[in-house]
Formats: sequence, structure tokens, C-alpha cells
Amino acid sequence: METTADVLIIGAGASGAALAWSLAETRMNIVCLEQGEWIDPAQLPGTSTDWEVRQLGDFNFSPNTRQRREDYPVNDSESPIAVSMFNAVGGSTILYAAHFPRFRPTDFRVRSLDGVADDWPIDYARLEPYYDVNAHMMGVSGLAGDPAYPPKQVPLPPLPLGKLGTTLAKGFNRLGWHWWPSDSAIATREHEGRAACVNAGTCLVGCPQGAKASTDITYWPPAIRRGVTLKTRCRVREITVGENGMASGVVYYDAEGIERRQKAEVVVVACNGIGTPRLLLNSRSKQFPDGLANRSGLVGRNLMFHPYAMVTGLFDEPLEGYKGPTGCCIMSQEFYASDPSRGFARGYSFEILRGFGPVYTALWAMSKGQLPWGAGHHQTFADFFDRTAGMVVISEDLPDPANCVTLDPDMKDSDGIPSPKINYRLSENSITMLEHSVARATEVLEASGAKRTITESPLRVAGWHLMGTARMGTDPETSVVNAWGRCHDVRNLFIVDGSIFVTAAAVNPTNTIQALALYIADTMKKNLANLFDD
Amino acid sequence: MDTRGPDGALTFSADEEHVLLRLLDVIVPPDGDRGLPGAGALGLTTSIARTVQQTPMVRPVVEYGLSTLADLARKTQPAGFAGLSAQEAKEVWEEFAATDQFFLPAFLFLVYSSYYQHPRVVEALGLEARAPHPRGHAMEESDWTLLDPVRDRAAMARARRQ
Repeated sequence: METTADVLIIGAGASGAALAWSLAETRMNIVCLEQGEWIDPAQLPGTSTDWEVRQLGDFNFSPNTRQRREDYPVNDSESPIAVSMFNAVGGSTILYAAHFPRFRPTDFRVRSLDGVADDWPIDYARLEPYYDVNAHMMGVSGLAGDPAYPPKQVPLPPLPLGKLGTTLAKGFNRLGWHWWPSDSAIATREHEGRAACVNAGTCLVGCPQGAKASTDITYWPPAIRRGVTLKTRCRVREITVGENGMASGVVYYDAEGIERRQKAEVVVVACNGIGTPRLLLNSRSKQFPDGLANRSGLVGRNLMFHPYAMVTGLFDEPLEGYKGPTGCCIMSQEFYASDPSRGFARGYSFEILRGFGPVYTALWAMSKGQLPWGAGHHQTFADFFDRTAGMVVISEDLPDPANCVTLDPDMKDSDGIPSPKINYRLSENSITMLEHSVARATEVLEASGAKRTITESPLRVAGWHLMGTARMGTDPETSVVNAWGRCHDVRNLFIVDGSIFVTAAAVNPTNTIQALALYIADTMKKNLANLFDD
Repeated sequence: MDTRGPDGALTFSADEEHVLLRLLDVIVPPDGDRGLPGAGALGLTTSIARTVQQTPMVRPVVEYGLSTLADLARKTQPAGFAGLSAQEAKEVWEEFAATDQFFLPAFLFLVYSSYYQHPRVVEALGLEARAPHPRGHAMEESDWTLLDPVRDRAAMARARRQ
């Protein structure tokens, strides 16, 4: 017999897991449908010597390259930034770097402070307790006292600087610029049953050690112990709507491709900035001919990435860059706040990366036209291997309705569900900001001792952060969800992922996505008796 | 290329093997000073075939390139690549590489990916030939006094604001 879930969550990634864990204490009947599978840590690439090559194949960031059954293709040919994501229990936290900064208080007041974009309907103080809960659940390492932030909890000691980080830190000090060890969702000592990081450097293809906080090993085990049902290999095609205009459940395909239905009292969408608008736009009905919860016309609009640049310095000395978590070392917010003299609004962060292993060094140098075959090959390789230090710029993207996710008229996934199509262009503000940041990155690398630098801007592969396509706000004309994630148009439909961001800040979004999910879950719990009221 | 054997592994034809074996040392020659073997000495064809199998989109490009190279070699030597001297093989490769746009990057990707994960090469680079997990790497203690200037500047900024 078909049962009705009290709460149906679509997506078991960063936000769906956090929400499920928080709501589980209510003992409601909570069901989560996830299109991917559990990832077996023993099968992750880091346990074999071909791990670097697998990053280019079945563990690639791009679903278009991976082409796993659970992936859906994304048409990003009309975007200078390619979409990255992973579909599994844990979602993209399986492959993320686990760089885990919070938004700064000013990030929620962009319109008030700088006259661009919009303010959020909530502020830092509202999210702060949920950042603290998330810090414990995900196991955040770092160092208290960063002057760029208000005082905050950092439960675990910082990751090691290593020779590479020390070299760059000295460069920042020579210029008198801000830097600080990165807040990272990587356990530096045993934490809640997770082992400590062993500095293997395979974070971007998953962490067999379990030190990196992916939600399959953080939120999901306790959520399931509390009674949440998680069903894998279930791909939702559409959210259905009753005659009363409320969400009634979903239609999905199971592992055998058989069409099934799941009824629900409350539906929560947690598919992030591309998957969420894709699902809503695929959920057309008599009441919602332009897509579910889309009376504002804003579902899919205001897509924000973080335009990235990558500047890599070549040094004379070995840096031991293959040791340590790949994406987490030190961060600088020297150029974070707006400064009108720079010619652009808002700002950017620098994040220092570790180096590459031998395979990736060769392939990267080749892709930059630097590595010859034949005579001279070994000398050039020796100049690159273990002598590179990369830094990326994360620049704040401003919302633009023209940057959007729509449905591709031709492309479909393996169940025949229309794929998302991305239309995105870099704004003049972003272009100017990237130019400024590349010049500053070059400056600090040279101050650190780099003999030359190689620049990639914008970094095409860097579509990791997917935000803004179902934005929150108080006005149903200019936003999709209210200040606690409930859709203005459908009062039993909630969205808890990066698509509800109003602005993007200039830091990695996962910590804020999860703090938002926890805040929304808490608000739902406090309002259970009148959840659908005005 | 063909899939043979009980495990369905992709393998090269004899003609393709000849081309590969001749070209590997042309792409990555040995370097005695650094203790690095040439790519031809490492028996990389199985590893390359496995990578092609894992990356299906490169297979047609690889098949096209290897057959074109074999045809070019037969213009010099009826026996094909198997009958070419090292210098002749290099010349055939250079003639092909000068005009090719597609095979070269795919082939270099395959050769470098296989070469730089081979245990002999990894050890010659000064690393341990093993998977990163579970042992990982030991790292030196961090010197957090490097943060003193950052803290001092923040303190000065606070003082200015007060």
C-alpha cells in the first residue's frame, strides 16, 4: 500500500542530509529520495595508484564527463563556466575540497552597504547558532581569532601549513596582507567516530579515511538511526500538485526504471542550484503552467557561480605540495570588502591550493602548452613537479536575471527527463574583478618567491558553487521562497539548498547552505502546528 | 582495438602494438641522469588500453591515429612500424604530429597518465610507489607565529576605530 510521508526530501546531499537529521527528532515519517547510491570508501580512487587518472574519468567533477547512470547531462555550452556536481548519498560533498568558511555579516547586507543586488531577509546573527551546530556535525578544523570574522567556534585544530603554505604565508606577510588558515570540514583529530586526516591529498576524488566531512558519513548515519528512510537510485521526475494547489507528492523512477509515486504532506527540495530549478520547471501543471512555484518567473533565474581565476606560481625549491588536503591550506580576504577605487563592486577571496601529483603535473603542464614530448621532456617536468603552488580567486558574482537555468529542448537523462540548459555570461563587474585579482595573485606569488606564473581566468572547470535560482525574500513578486525556505506559491513546498541564496558572497557556500537547512528545519519544527499559515 | 579475453579487456592489434612500442620512447625517452626509464621500457600498452577503455570518447581518435601512423610507416618500410629504425619511427611521428590536431593530445594524455603512475617512474621521482591511502603523508609542524603580523595589524585597526 502506498504510504504518505510526513516529510519527503528530494536529494541526499549537503542540505538534504542536514535537514533530515534535524527534523528526525520529531519522529515524523521522513523519507528521502536520492538518485545516486552510497559510495563505498574502499572503492574510492585514493586507495589505488591510478587515483589521479580517475579524477579525469569516473570521478570527474563534470557529470557530462563521468556519465554515470545516476548523472544527468547538463548543457553548459552557453556558459564560460562548466557545471560541476556529484550525484550520490552525500552529493557533491563526496568530491568537494571541504573548504568551509562562513559568510561574513556584511554578505547579508549587500544592497544596504554597496547599493548592488539585494539584502537577504535574514542576517548573520540568525544563522550563527546553526553555523555552530554545523561546525560540530561536520567537524570543522581551523584557528580561532581570524580578524576577518566575528568570534566563532572552531572545534578542531587547524590543518598543517606544510612547506607550501609556509612559503605563501611569508609572501602575504611581506606584502602586509591578511591571511589565515582555512576553516576546513576535515577532521584533524578523531571526531565523532571519524579518523583524522592523513594528508594523503586525494580530497577531490573522495576521502577513504573518512576525515573529510561528506554527509554520507556525518549527518546521514545519525539521521537514519533516528528513523529517517533514505531510498537510493530513485530519480524524481516531477512534484505533483493537488486540486488545492498544494504539493501532493512526487513521481519518480526507481533503480529498475519503473515509474513510482510517493505521496507526502510536506515536500522539501534539496537538489542545489541546478537540480532544484530543473525539477521545478519539469513540474508543470494546470495551476503552474510555467513550472512549480514559479508565478514570479524567477525559478531558474539569477544563477550565480563564483567566477574563479587560478594563478599558479613556479618555484625553484620543492614545496612538498602533494602532501596535505588539496584545496585547504590558507585563505586571504585582503580584497573582500568593496573599495570604489578598484572599479568594481564587492570583492574576492584568495585560497591557496596544494600542488599536484606526478600524473596531474604532466597533464596540467601539457594542457598549458608547457611540456614538450621528446628531448627536453624530463627537464621541463622537473621544473614543474613539486615546484608549483596554485592559488584560486573566488570572486563574488552578482545576481543577473539573464543568467539562468532552463530546460533543454533536446537533451535528456537516462530516464527521459529533460536536462537543464545553462545560459550564463560574466558581468563587466566580474571581468574587472578577475583582472584585479589576477594582478594581486601574481604579486603575492612573486613576493613568495615564484620565478614565474601561469594564469587561467576565468577557470572553466570551476562551476562548483550553484546558487540563486530560487531566491529567498519577503516579496512574492521578487522571490521564490520566504525567509525560512517556504515557497510563496506552494505552502507545503520548501527549498533548502544553494538555490535560495540572495547573493553569493566570495567564499565557498556549503557551510552556509547547511546552516540555512538547519535554520529552516528548526523553523519548521517551531511552526509544525501552523506550518502552512500566513 | 578489440575486446578479448574473459574479462572483456580492451587490447591493441599487432599492428597497433608495433606503432605504440616504437613511439613510446619517442614521446618519453630515457633519462639516465635522473634514473628515469623511457616509456617504451615499461610495458605500458596494457595500461594505455585500460585508460582508453575507461575513457571511451578517446577510442575513435586513438584508433584513427594508430592506423594513420601505420599507413605512413608502410610508405617507408613495407613491414610497417615493426621494420622501422628508431630514427625512421621518429621521422614518421614528426611528420604526422606536425599536422594532426586530435590524436596528439589524446595520445600524450594516455602516455603521460600511464608513465607517471608506473612504480619505477614514481620511485625515480623520489616518491613511494603506493596508493595515497591509508598511509598518507607526514607533514612538518606549523609555525603559527607567522600569524603575529596579521594579529598585530588587526589590533592596530581596532585601536584606530576606537
